[in-house]
Amino acid sequence: MSEKESSNELLIANRELAFQNIEKENRAAELNIANKELAFQNQEKKNRAAELLIANKELAFQNDEKEDRAAELIIANKELAFQNNEKEHRAAELLIANKELAFQNDEKEKRAAELIIANKELAFQNDEKEHRAAELIIANKELAFQNDEKEKRAAELIIANKELAFQNDEKEKRAAELIIANKELAFQNDEKEKRAAELIIANKELAFQNEEKEKRAIELLTANTELKKAEDDIRKFNEELEQKVIERTAQLEAVNKELEAFSYSVSHDLRAPIRGINGYAQILEEDYSDKLDSDGVAVLHSIRKNSKKMGQLIDDLLAFSKLGRKQVTLADINMNMLVNTLKEDFLVEDKEQKIEFNIEVLPPAKGDQSLIKQVWINLISNAIKYSKNKSNSPIAIGAYQEGAQVVYYVKDNGAGFDMQYYDKLFGVFQRLHSQEEFEGTGIGLAIVQKIVNRHNGTVWAESKLNKETTFYFSLPNINS
Amino acid sequence: MSHENIEILFVEDSLDDAMLTLRAFKKSGFVNTVHHVKDGAEALDFIYAREQYVTRNINNHPKLILLDLKMPKMSGMEVLERIKSDPEFKSIPIVILTSSKEDPDIQQCYALGANSYIVKPVESENFFQVIKDIGMYWMVLSQLPE
Repeated sequence: MSEKESSNELLIANRELAFQNIEKENRAAELNIANKELAFQNQEKKNRAAELLIANKELAFQNDEKEDRAAELIIANKELAFQNNEKEHRAAELLIANKELAFQNDEKEKRAAELIIANKELAFQNDEKEHRAAELIIANKELAFQNDEKEKRAAELIIANKELAFQNDEKEKRAAELIIANKELAFQNDEKEKRAAELIIANKELAFQNEEKEKRAIELLTANTELKKAEDDIRKFNEELEQKVIERTAQLEAVNKELEAFSYSVSHDLRAPIRGINGYAQILEEDYSDKLDSDGVAVLHSIRKNSKKMGQLIDDLLAFSKLGRKQVTLADINMNMLVNTLKEDFLVEDKEQKIEFNIEVLPPAKGDQSLIKQVWINLISNAIKYSKNKSNSPIAIGAYQEGAQVVYYVKDNGAGFDMQYYDKLFGVFQRLHSQEEFEGTGIGLAIVQKIVNRHNGTVWAESKLNKETTFYFSLPNINS
Repeated sequence: MSHENIEILFVEDSLDDAMLTLRAFKKSGFVNTVHHVKDGAEALDFIYAREQYVTRNINNHPKLILLDLKMPKMSGMEVLERIKSDPEFKSIPIVILTSSKEDPDIQQCYALGANSYIVKPVESENFFQVIKDIGMYWMVLSQLPE
């Protein structure tokens, strides 16, 4: 072998090897791709296996569920089988009951048919009876009407019978009476003839008297006219008199008011000078008596005493005139309370403890409390004053009802007074005792009278000299 | 006579009553200064420091006024009303000293603000006692506004 040949061969072998190499490289690449494909398929299979695992678990769970459901269905199936049995029993029973009812139904239908027949029979009988009853009612009414008619007729006949019997009696009586009357008339006829003769005589007498009376009537008519005129005159005179009374009353009231005002202003204005006289006499007595002899001092003393007395009189007069103008306000007065309170006041004042009171229960009255209190004060202090010379002489106070008035009294066993001077008792400044015996101005009882009169009441007194005196006064009771 | 430091203003038209009142006051031992005026007009002149009293100090109030009612020119009632309606002087106590016992007078005086109403007694010893009691009550017992 040549080298060339060997090189060729080598070249060819090289080329062969290169080609095989490339082939192998291609093969390797293909293998690589195939490898990758396999790896991917592997991965896919892994994923699929995981999914199958999950699906497997799901199926296993569903399997369990289906088994549970199957168990439940078995139980339900048994239950249904039991119920089915029961229903079959019930159906068998109902079948029997149904047959029974069908039988009863047949029976009832038969009975109903029988009853319908019986019913029709009864309805027919009923109709018959109703017809008969209607006929009987008509017949009955007819009989009742005939009966009434007969009774009425019988009653009428009885009355007519009685009437005839009565008329018969009456006619017999009348006949007897007529006979008597006839006799009487014959007698009267005789009497009348006699009387007619008398009447003719009397008639003549009357005619005469009549003439006389006519004359007298004319005289009376004249007298009557005169009387009527006199009556008219009197009426006229009366009217004039009444007018005069009204005028006079008004005048008197005016004068009275004027007098009251006058007495007030007089007593008011008199007080100042009296106070002056009294005051200056006191100054003389106090500051200048050493320049006077005893007679002079005694005169001064008298001036003072007299002016003091005059002052007291003026004060009393003032109080009295004030009373006439005071408004009287009426209210119910609890006389028990009023008098017993005054009693306490008098007992407190009584330092010698000589006074004794016997006070009854006193009913209430209507009056002006402050004025009535003054009445009690004046009467009780009078009773005390005039009892002062007698020991053991209690003052009795009481009351009694008289119509619509209550009469109260105050009684003492003191000096008393002579009843012949009674009309002076209630006068202003009138006194029945000397100032030396019993002091006072004589206004107390005048005030009492004025107050009681202003209450439309009365005051009066009874006395036995040196024995006892009772003063009474009346007031309207609380119901008037 | 000085018109300052007058403690009692005494208004009285009757000279007799005035004399007896002043004497009773003195005899009772009161040393208060009393000034007597003889009617209502003069009383107001005194209070308001006018006419004859023009030099008087108006702020020097009397502590008490004794006032008669029935007087010429101007009555006590008018004086009372004037003083009691004046805020400057209304706190001065006013004692009415009169002869009138009339209810309307008494009511009207108190309604107008009189502090006391006293009726003059006729009898001199009683009168003396009343004046003494007024002095005792108003000037000794009562606390009066300065």
